[in-house]
Amino acid sequence: MSANEGWIGRRVQRREDLPLIQGKGRFAADLTMPDMVHMAVLRSPHAHARLLGVDTSKARELPGVFDVLTSADLDGIGEFPVLWQLPGQKASGIPVLARDKVRYVGEPVAAVVAVSRYVAEDALELIEADYDPLPTVVDVESALKAGAPVINEAWGDNVAIRHIVPGIDATGKAGDIDGAFAAADAVVKARFKINRFSGVPLETRGLVASHDPLTHGLTLWSSSQVAHKQRTQLASVLGVPESSIRVMTPNLGGGFGVKWDCYPEDALVCLFSQRLQRPVKWIEDRREHLMGTVHAREQVQELEAAVARDGTILGIRGKIWADLGAHIHSVGIGPAWVTGVSLTGQYRIKNYYCEVIGVATNKVPSSTFRGFGGPEATFATERLIEKAARAVGLDPAEVRRKNFIQPDEFPWFSAGGGVFDSGNYPAALEKALEEVDYDHLREEQAGLRAKGVYRGIGIGCYIHTSGFGPSFILGLVGYNTSGYEGSSIKVDPQGGITIYTGMIPLGQGTETTLAQVAADQFGVDFNDVRVVWGDTSQTPYTGFGSAGSRSNVAAAAILKAAEVVRDKSIRIGAHLLEAAPEDVVYENGGVQVKGSPEKRLTLGDVAKAAYLAHNLPKGELPTLEGTYVYDPAMFTIAFGCHVAVVDVDLETGEVKIVRYVVVDDSGTIINPLLVEGQIQGGVAMGLGGALLEEFVYDENGQLLTTSFMDYLLPSIHEVPHMELHQQVTVSPHTPGGFKGMGEAGMFSPGAALANAVSDALLPFGVEVDRMPITSNLVWSLLPKS
Amino acid sequence: MKPPSFAYEAPEALDDALALLDRHGDDAKVLAGGQSLVPLLNFRLARPARLIDINGVPGLASISERDGTISIGAMTRQRTIETSPLVASRAPLLAAATRWIGHPPIRTRGTIGGSLAHNDPSGEYPAVLLALDAQVRIRSQRGERVLGIDAFLGEWLSTALGPDELVIAVEIPIGSKHATYGFAEVAKRHGDFALAGVAARFTLDGSHIGDARIVAFGGVARATRLTAAEDAIRGRVPNETLFGEANRAATAAIDPISDLHATGEYRRHLTGVLVVRALRQAFGEA
Repeated sequence: MSANEGWIGRRVQRREDLPLIQGKGRFAADLTMPDMVHMAVLRSPHAHARLLGVDTSKARELPGVFDVLTSADLDGIGEFPVLWQLPGQKASGIPVLARDKVRYVGEPVAAVVAVSRYVAEDALELIEADYDPLPTVVDVESALKAGAPVINEAWGDNVAIRHIVPGIDATGKAGDIDGAFAAADAVVKARFKINRFSGVPLETRGLVASHDPLTHGLTLWSSSQVAHKQRTQLASVLGVPESSIRVMTPNLGGGFGVKWDCYPEDALVCLFSQRLQRPVKWIEDRREHLMGTVHAREQVQELEAAVARDGTILGIRGKIWADLGAHIHSVGIGPAWVTGVSLTGQYRIKNYYCEVIGVATNKVPSSTFRGFGGPEATFATERLIEKAARAVGLDPAEVRRKNFIQPDEFPWFSAGGGVFDSGNYPAALEKALEEVDYDHLREEQAGLRAKGVYRGIGIGCYIHTSGFGPSFILGLVGYNTSGYEGSSIKVDPQGGITIYTGMIPLGQGTETTLAQVAADQFGVDFNDVRVVWGDTSQTPYTGFGSAGSRSNVAAAAILKAAEVVRDKSIRIGAHLLEAAPEDVVYENGGVQVKGSPEKRLTLGDVAKAAYLAHNLPKGELPTLEGTYVYDPAMFTIAFGCHVAVVDVDLETGEVKIVRYVVVDDSGTIINPLLVEGQIQGGVAMGLGGALLEEFVYDENGQLLTTSFMDYLLPSIHEVPHMELHQQVTVSPHTPGGFKGMGEAGMFSPGAALANAVSDALLPFGVEVDRMPITSNLVWSLLPKS
Repeated sequence: MKPPSFAYEAPEALDDALALLDRHGDDAKVLAGGQSLVPLLNFRLARPARLIDINGVPGLASISERDGTISIGAMTRQRTIETSPLVASRAPLLAAATRWIGHPPIRTRGTIGGSLAHNDPSGEYPAVLLALDAQVRIRSQRGERVLGIDAFLGEWLSTALGPDELVIAVEIPIGSKHATYGFAEVAKRHGDFALAGVAARFTLDGSHIGDARIVAFGGVARATRLTAAEDAIRGRVPNETLFGEANRAATAAIDPISDLHATGEYRRHLTGVLVVRALRQAFGEA
């Protein structure tokens, strides 16, 4: 293999890093323009109140203030739509500024533009908003009570949707859930509470809008994960042609899903820029991020599993209440729906029933976040498996072995309606158990307990539905967006390769990864491939854009686009070499006649000829470029297994992670170095949610966690060393065999830790059924003596 | 998260600083390390008309020993205290506790005088200085006074400091050679404010415990002496049974608050556990 072959699978260092570590990155906050002015947003201090009026006259008089907007100024401006509209889901939208009513603390009420952010914030204090406070509901239980205050009056109550997921087999025939429970030797029941936490990127959201009087167009520099979708939505909210908006993304300091959504500020900066004919900048501060950017995850789950004496799980049924916050955000109850269809996990559980209830509360809207409903399901499934094992007196590893879908059973049709492409779940578990030396840990456990060391071992297996998703399936489930990814490849007259992608690098090394795929396909040096991203005027349309698990879709698009360009090179090359195209192959960075390596042209030779167009095959168009839009044929199901080993301090309830083993399988790996980084980051984020992170509200709907003193992210001290292991089971659907992997690390930490702590405290019958697993929680679960 | 506008003064002599405080004390704030004040400004929770930045005032940042006392200038950075050989040998409890304050970047800015004047009830320094029976040297244009730490500390971020006064130094009696100490706290993450903590200093009287000063902090209105626990162990031989008595006396005496990070009940329990851990540090697993 020559140096320019086999780029897929190489541990290439991230090409993004050098400028970033030299401080030469360019983030939204770094952008500055002549005559630029700054926006600040007045946010509701009330969780629920009638908004009787907003008097901005004093703010307008403050020197340095240019403009003030309230909802009264927004005639003709629409609301941000809910993109995912499941059948039966009540109507909702995100207003740009609150009109008549505020529904959560932090909801935008007015906005000011001034000469500096300081003056703009001074002006906010001069705005007199007249609120008539209303009773609040801050959890699903109180929101569902008879006579509860109704947040969205048009709904009549606080229920956004009741959606039933009936268990079905491959033919669509319903299972026999009642029969499964009737036949069970044991039934385990649980009430799980998943905490409200979210993606908290190092870089908050940031925007600079600039109206161009020459073109009558608007350029928005935005920290969005999906510039094309943002453009589409802005055009509809602002009522302008999509072609008049150009969205550009500078460097992003993380996204994690929360920068996938569109927000009121996106429209506000554009409106101000149009009104003032000046560039308008808004950089979200951390307080705003915690109370203005979407939250995620919060669910109450009441579930039960029917278990046979031999450990077979005969069925799972139950209800999930998703705390949606005050508005249905762009993906609606999508994440909770994903949880609702996923509770059978990687197990051969044929009888299933789940009811998903979306509930409005006076809290920040809940929406997209790394994992998207999956980790909530993993927590529940893996806790139920653990409880089932205890109920029938088997080792939890044994119960998993008993129930796994086997490698020869793919494609597997899950009871929740999913189609699984490929997997080897038993191998991932066995590898994790072998690496952690499970049998030895079990032997050691009793002896340690006698010495007062309460060590627990927790398994968390997961599947991760990645490559979201085939457009026709998005259509079937009411998701008003598309799932394809386009790629254009242009070979310039010198033979240099530039790829154009709608993906936006969020920090995960997208540029490196995609350049590797192209270098591999053309047999050229990785450093000779340029990647263009982050500009709607240059890059192919994507309705879905960057998500942690979509590099596989983009990579597949590049594979296919490369094929188009290679085929054209062969046709032109064959013509120049005076051979038949079927006798010419693309090899090692050029075209040559089969069996006659001396009859060869480099890609540069072909490109030059293609651009000069002096001598092309009949009917062949000049230039050398190719485009392909890859719409995934199917979801790809990545999977793996985590094992956590913890010691629990009985006196304080503190949990110390002794070991953390990860086995991940995400199909073909493009760059092992980046995969390891993604897994480590995902696990760290999962551990944050499992142990520390939670948005806490008081009974009046005041958000108490509005700074990093109170919203606690894991730091270097809290994240343990991870022992990472990779296995590869290719996807039969994706060209290249790739599966998505950026979210995978996030799925199991909650389950593995809850299982480990419960295992450590088995002598006391402690069951950890909620997160975050704080020392206070653990202590409160221990018997007091 | 931008502060409202304020006037900024940066005096270069102590007298100038005191003159500014005398003139503007009621609506001025002293800027020392800024680790608490600057966030309060950015959240607009503190809105002083004027900041008096004393970082340029000479003579406030030394550590010295004289007449059985360690004197630490108010502007001495926490990181300097943490790494001072003099503090390590003469006031090892202070050195040990300093490592629990925030993180190195915070300690590189944060000062001992600022910590005291801010008097966060979850802060390590008020508690440790109470355990060490420190004195606080205070100056204003009216003159100088020395207050015992107990009289200095008020409840919930308040102190006995007048609006025209500045903490100049903290003075710690070195005391008996036969002294020992313990420091323990539980925080959600390394460097966070304590959910509960205990700072304790003991003297030894042969095989018996001599004097005992046990201070609880975190979730209570101010650093608080656990006198019942002190009384329970004073003059007795240290052992686990005695430590258990101290635990019970401590938990009976304290009534911490509940907030989003921990319940009062848990904090009370932790305080008892941490008293025992501090005792074990001081006397070994007796």
